[in-house]
Amino acid sequence: MGKKLTSRQKSELIWGWIFIIPTMLGLFVLNIYPMIDTIKQSFYKTGDFGKGNKFVGLANYQKVLGDSEIWQSLWNTVKYAIVEVPISIVIALLLAVLLNKKLKGRDTFRTIFFLPMVVAPAAIAMVWKWLYNSNFGLINNVFHVRVNWISDPKIAIYSIAAIGIWSVIGYNMVLFLAGLQEVPRDYYEAASLDGANGWHQLVNITIPLISPTIFFVLVTRIIGAMQVFDLIYMMIDLNNPAWKKTQSLVFLFYKYSFEQSKKGYGATVVVVLLLVILVLTVVQLIGQKKWVHYD
Amino acid sequence: MKKKVLAILLSAVTVLSMIGCGNEAPAAAPEAPAQEEQAVAEEEAPQSIGSSVEGELSVTIWDEGQRPGLQQIVDDWSAESGIKATIQVVDWNNYWTLLEAGATGGELPDVFWMHSNVAQKYMENDQLLDLTDMIAASDKTDLNNYYEGIVKLYQLDGRQYAVPKDIDTIALWYNKTIFDEMGVPYPDDTWTWKDFAENAKKLTNDEHWGYAIAPGNNQEGYYNTIYSYGGYVISDDKKKSGMDDPKTIEAIKLFTDMIADGSCPDLATVSETAPNELLQAGKTAMCISGSWMLAGYRDNEYTAANCDVAVLPYTNDPSDRVSIYNGLGWAAAANTKNPEAAWSLIEYLTSKEGQLKQAELGVTMSAYIGTSDAWVNSVPAFNLNGHMDMLDAKLVFRPYSRDTTVWEDMMIEKLQDAWTGDKPVDEVCMDIAAEMNADLAEE
Repeated sequence: MGKKLTSRQKSELIWGWIFIIPTMLGLFVLNIYPMIDTIKQSFYKTGDFGKGNKFVGLANYQKVLGDSEIWQSLWNTVKYAIVEVPISIVIALLLAVLLNKKLKGRDTFRTIFFLPMVVAPAAIAMVWKWLYNSNFGLINNVFHVRVNWISDPKIAIYSIAAIGIWSVIGYNMVLFLAGLQEVPRDYYEAASLDGANGWHQLVNITIPLISPTIFFVLVTRIIGAMQVFDLIYMMIDLNNPAWKKTQSLVFLFYKYSFEQSKKGYGATVVVVLLLVILVLTVVQLIGQKKWVHYD
Repeated sequence: MKKKVLAILLSAVTVLSMIGCGNEAPAAAPEAPAQEEQAVAEEEAPQSIGSSVEGELSVTIWDEGQRPGLQQIVDDWSAESGIKATIQVVDWNNYWTLLEAGATGGELPDVFWMHSNVAQKYMENDQLLDLTDMIAASDKTDLNNYYEGIVKLYQLDGRQYAVPKDIDTIALWYNKTIFDEMGVPYPDDTWTWKDFAENAKKLTNDEHWGYAIAPGNNQEGYYNTIYSYGGYVISDDKKKSGMDDPKTIEAIKLFTDMIADGSCPDLATVSETAPNELLQAGKTAMCISGSWMLAGYRDNEYTAANCDVAVLPYTNDPSDRVSIYNGLGWAAAANTKNPEAAWSLIEYLTSKEGQLKQAELGVTMSAYIGTSDAWVNSVPAFNLNGHMDMLDAKLVFRPYSRDTTVWEDMMIEKLQDAWTGDKPVDEVCMDIAAEMNADLAEE
């Protein structure tokens, strides 16, 4: 600080800014400004068409605290995340290890597992909705069972989480594959000379060495899972008995903001979600010191 | 090593944010809710509702099924006026999201459909072109020619903001094959709601149910019965809920009893497979449907071959046969760049001539009284008198207030406990009435 910049440093500074300005601009206009505006809106009772907003202070937040629907949705969202995140990570990790070996048709398998990621969520939801259908669905008819997969309040959220797992595995797998490229071959050779079997290699070499990737996937997947919306929106409607036990926080936000035009209260819901995600992420960032190895 | 990891993470973040962006169009092809169900979901989420350009009219609607017929009428108008007009279809859910965004940003299409759910809000906020003076000056439009409830719906403080486009009626659709199989005579105008429930029991076996209720769609179901029984949903001054009225409760019980005795599928079943889908699959003998479902039943081979339609039952006397009706309105944007052309188009679409064409082309029944006769012959497979005759029944306008969806959603949600039998009907209805009164007080 206080030092005078050389002309080279100066030009680097200027060019640096020029290079990041397009991104910064996009980030500000599309993310940061709307975020600030949302937080602001959460203190208002909004009028129609953005006119006549009334400042109500913390009233929306007080309402949130006493609103059992919000807490139920938070719990639904957490249940979804608890199922989706760990299972999808474990399966994806095993698949990645498997598909990292020399295997016939390896690329084909990689492509197949990644495919669900490419399909539009709306299309996925429509197909699964019919698979799950209790009367005409493939699942019930093939296994000769009579389960209300998506209308039984006790299991509907898990049925939806299963779709979430199915659609995200490929994505997690690709990240793990990228991480695995970083692990030097000779570690495995040395280990197998010492008599370590596949399982030991996985636990003692692979996982510690790709822990930064695992950590990254964990953080982003938890955030993603907490924001689950489209699957639920497409599969569950108002007259579904599982409605109350499946609507997620983002779903509630959508309901209040766009269906009922209570934008202020909707904003409050989404700020609460932001806080929850913030806390979860901070906890993970602190916790990573215990298990993530960066070299 | 550290750097490489960082590089991977960074590129991953970039990919993620791109995927995130792709995901953020959750409205892509959502399901149309309760009303006007047949709106065809677009392949991709539309990005705009259309906007006003000078010298050309943009028209936006939400029903793909009606577009070909309406475009034909609009083309006739273009031939007369020499102004080009194109109809854009945006599916039901996106329609309202985009229309609201458009209204907030001052970008609305010239001419578009209005609906009872939100009309009040748009009128109060001066989003719709005030048509009062133009109607007064017109020799083609006289509001007395239209069904009163629809005209009033688009009125605020004596000003008219939209002209009625169509009217719908509710009727009893039934599967002739199942009736023959079970030896039950087809429904006709002598049926009471009690006959309806008794016959539903006779029509039930392991293969199919007698009747399937649409728990999320009040207009195609219990609202008709509530008013037929003499109950009500909302008071005329829109201040008080009628859900705790004993007659209302009795009407709801008609359906909960049917679910309890098995002649109507349980909530889980109808929430996964809509009643009209059950009818189309031959899984239910009867289904109460709005006239807007016609295109769907016509285009389904099974229903076209096996089904027909009759009037709804009555309670004590044929005079208490009720059809809950609703009607769309043609409205123009308050800030349209072509007010004269917009009005000219609306005038044409709602004139006797335009309304006759609308019925003839089988688009919908028309809001202009006496112009719908041609509609009856638009689909030879069905005897559409079932729907037409409902126009002579007691027409009750679909209950609404300023923020209808708020209490309507609440009601649908709470009624679940009644359909499943988890709570007694009286208790559920009292609870709904209390909360609805609170909602109405807030409006």
